[in-house]
Parts: sequence; structure tokens; C-alpha cells
Amino acid sequence: MNSPAPSLSDLVVERVGFGIFVLDRDMNVLMWNRFMQDHSGLSAKQVVGKSLFTHFPELPRVWLSRKIESVFQLGSFAFSSWEQRPYLFKFDHDRPITGGVDYMQQDCTFMPLTREREVVAVCVTISDVTHVSIVQREREEAVAKLQEYADRDGLTGIANRRYFEARLQDEYTRWQRYGGDMSVLLFDLDHFKKINDQFGHGVGDTVLRVMAQRVAGVVRAQDTFGRFGGEEFALLLPCTPLEDAMRVAEKIRCTIADTPVEVQGTSVPVTASVGGAAARPGLPAYEVLINEADAALYSAKRQGRNRSVALT
Amino acid sequence: MSEPVLTEDQRDALQEVANLAMGQAATRLARLLDSFIELSVPRVRVVAVSEAAQALREMTGIQDPVSAVRQGFRSDIKGEALVICRSDSVEDLCALVSDPYSRSAYESVSQKELMFDVANVLTGACVSCILDQLGRTPVFSAPGLLGDALTLDEVFQPGVLQWEVALLVEVNFTLEDQSFRAHLVMLMAEESIRHMNDALDALLSSL
Repeated sequence: MNSPAPSLSDLVVERVGFGIFVLDRDMNVLMWNRFMQDHSGLSAKQVVGKSLFTHFPELPRVWLSRKIESVFQLGSFAFSSWEQRPYLFKFDHDRPITGGVDYMQQDCTFMPLTREREVVAVCVTISDVTHVSIVQREREEAVAKLQEYADRDGLTGIANRRYFEARLQDEYTRWQRYGGDMSVLLFDLDHFKKINDQFGHGVGDTVLRVMAQRVAGVVRAQDTFGRFGGEEFALLLPCTPLEDAMRVAEKIRCTIADTPVEVQGTSVPVTASVGGAAARPGLPAYEVLINEADAALYSAKRQGRNRSVALT
Repeated sequence: MSEPVLTEDQRDALQEVANLAMGQAATRLARLLDSFIELSVPRVRVVAVSEAAQALREMTGIQDPVSAVRQGFRSDIKGEALVICRSDSVEDLCALVSDPYSRSAYESVSQKELMFDVANVLTGACVSCILDQLGRTPVFSAPGLLGDALTLDEVFQPGVLQWEVALLVEVNFTLEDQSFRAHLVMLMAEESIRHMNDALDALLSSL
């Protein structure tokens, strides 16, 4: 039997690098190209003439039927993007080893096929956008990493001042609206300049790093611990009254003072002074809370250092 | 090169075409969405790029942040359609298409997908109907989010745009209960205005 030679457009549809198939209003398949065959393992012969759901019962039936119906009714296009719906068909993709993606990510277009202004069928195209999704995911991961670096202090790895103040501002806004408690501790390593002068800046940096790690190990998960600059650190304690905050202050002071830091065979004793303040009704701005904690810290220094003082 | 603006006759014809098209679009949308959507009388304006944001502010009356979805359409007359609503009424807009899986935990549809669906349906109905009146069958590109809290100035960034004058057709939608309003804006640049002129002339001479 001689079938007519396929037209150029038939050849294109067969070979083209994306999925093309055609559905009637009852979701019966009218056409199925080679891409669809290669990825589904089902030939046009097996699929054409039957409902799409016969071979693909896992397709989102309500959603898909509604898409197709909207194209018939409006005579206009419909779309589906991988960003909202990663795939329609569970097809494999060409990065099974390096991709880290389960199925081929797909952009779908639903086109009306019209004769005499009547929509006679809907053509669906499936584009493989797996590589786009991978590039996008990598970019999002890079941005997240950059974001994290932007929030960290380079020397100690704890929050930097900018991030600390942003958290403090959020917490202040929450406190303004809902009330409750919030406290701030500021602390300072005593006579840090002497440590730098006596042992050198390298040792000074190690002391800062070790102390930051020790304190980070004893603060609660919900608190924000940041380096405020130089040898000054700050701790934000949400939902915490001053009394409890001062217990944390003592814990921090002891954590620092109890064990000297061992650097290059030398034992460097370090102590810290801590000032604490809590938000009180009428507090006009979060900066005022910092100033109050700073005043308490100054008072701790004046009283002889290695102690914690609450603003009274 | 002649200035690509519309003569009075062409303008009237376009207004008439748009009126007819919106009637058609409203019927199709009502059937598809199963709720009666009121479409305003379309407004047609030619604007310079520098005035586009101001024109849109006047036409929509919106000063607040907006959510905007854009979509390209293409025939010899080509351009972009924007669906714009106040950011705080996005949920109302999405409610126009019911979530097919609202009761199902297994399948879920994100608000963004619903928003794209609504925008696509509104754009598809209106733009297809207008171009159909002019004997064109447009091809559409996929909808994309311009932003979910934009000012209208951010929609058009005069410094980077390739056009100087655009034809702007605005239609707004309300539900029967007038609970919220969304706007569809069809924008076509110089080249397309010339093709539009030809299409309108052909229509006028066929009367």
C-alpha cells in the first residue's frame, strides 16, 4: 500500500524538539508527534483515537479539561508554566545524572486550531525547560548564599550589626503592635586593647572568635546574637523580661570569664561587662533601647568591670 | 515618515470595533467563568511614552501599588496586554476562576497560577475579539508577572523603552456586585499603529 509522501510540515512536526499533540473537545487524541512518542513510550497508533486519560490516568483531569474547554470557548490561548506546575507528563530529561530534577520541567501552550472561526481542536505543545529550571535553582541558591554572607560578620561568623539591627527593628515593630516583653544585652570584652597590645592582633582576633563561638553556644535559638563592632557584642531577646535577660547576662559573663582562651600556647584570661535594658511602654524607637543598654554597660564598666548591670 | 496617529474616522471605527468586541468578550467570559462580568466601554488613547503612566493613572484612578500581569500578542498588529489591579484585590481577581481543587489536598493550585489563568482568560477574550473584528488571528505568548506591588510608573520605564508613541486601549472589569475592579490595557507601538490604520481603513471602505 502506498501512502502519500509526507509534507514538509509533517516532517517538521515529527522531528521538532518539543512535544506536539492535538485534542478534541472530549479529550480524545487526534495527533501525537515523535517527541511525545519518544518520551512516553507510546506511539501515535496506540494513543490516537482514544481519550488522553486512557493512557495517562495520572494527569490532573479537572485542571486539564478546564484548560482545553477554555480554549474552545474563548478561541484563545492558554498556558502552563513550570514555575507553577513543574510538569504535565512524567517524562525523563537529558540531565538524569547532573540535574537533580525528578521529571522533565515543562512549559505548555494550548493553541486553538480554527476553521471558519470555529475552534475545531486544541493543539498542545510541551517544551522541555529542565535546563532553565536548573539554572534558575542554581541562581536562587547563589543569591541565598550571598544573602547569608551579607548578614554575617566576617571574623566571628555570627550576625553582623546590620542584620542585628534589622532583627531588632522587626522585633520592635512587633512589640509596638502586640506589646509583651523584649530585652537587649550589650557586652564588651574588658581591657581588650591591652590584649591586642600585649599579644598582638592575631591573638586578639582569636579571642574575639572563640568568645563569639562560646557565647553563641549558650544563647537560645530564638535570640539574635551579633557583633556590634570592635569587641562589642549584642544579644536581642524577644519575649523576655529584664529579669530573665539579666540571668542570661550572668550566664554569658561566666561563660567568658570562667575559662581563659588558649592561643599559641599562652593562656589569655578574658572578662566581659554586660549592660541590659528592656522595652518599656512609651519607648519611642529601638535605638533608644540600644542607648539604654549602652548606658547600663557603661555603668558596669565604672563599677569595676566583669559584671552585669541592668538599666534601672 | 508620517506620524502614526489615528484620524478621527479611524478613531471612531476603532472605538466601534472595540465596543462590539467587548460585547462578544463579555458573553464568552460569562459562559466560561459562570459569573456575569461587566466590561466597561473601552477607552482609546494615543500616548507618548513619557505620559503613559500618567494616562494609566487617569484612566484607572489607581494611585496605590498594583499587581500587573503582562502578555504579548502577535499578528501584523502586535503589542502587549496588561492586566492590572490593586495589589490588595488580587484575591478577588483570582476568585473569578474557581480553584478546581479547592477541596483537595492532593492537587493544589497556587495563587500565582490562578492569577495567570485569570489574566490570560481576560486578555485572550478581549484581545482576540478586537483583532478578530479586524480580521486578524493573534498568537499569544505566555503570561508573566511584571510585579505584585508596583507603582504605575514602574510599569513603564521611559529610559529603556523602544517606543515613543503607543495606542492604548483600556477596558475595566467589575463583577455584578462591584466588589472590585481590574483593568485590561492593550498597548501597541508605532509599527502596529500603522497596521491598525490599514486594518481600520479596510474596514471603513468595506462599509
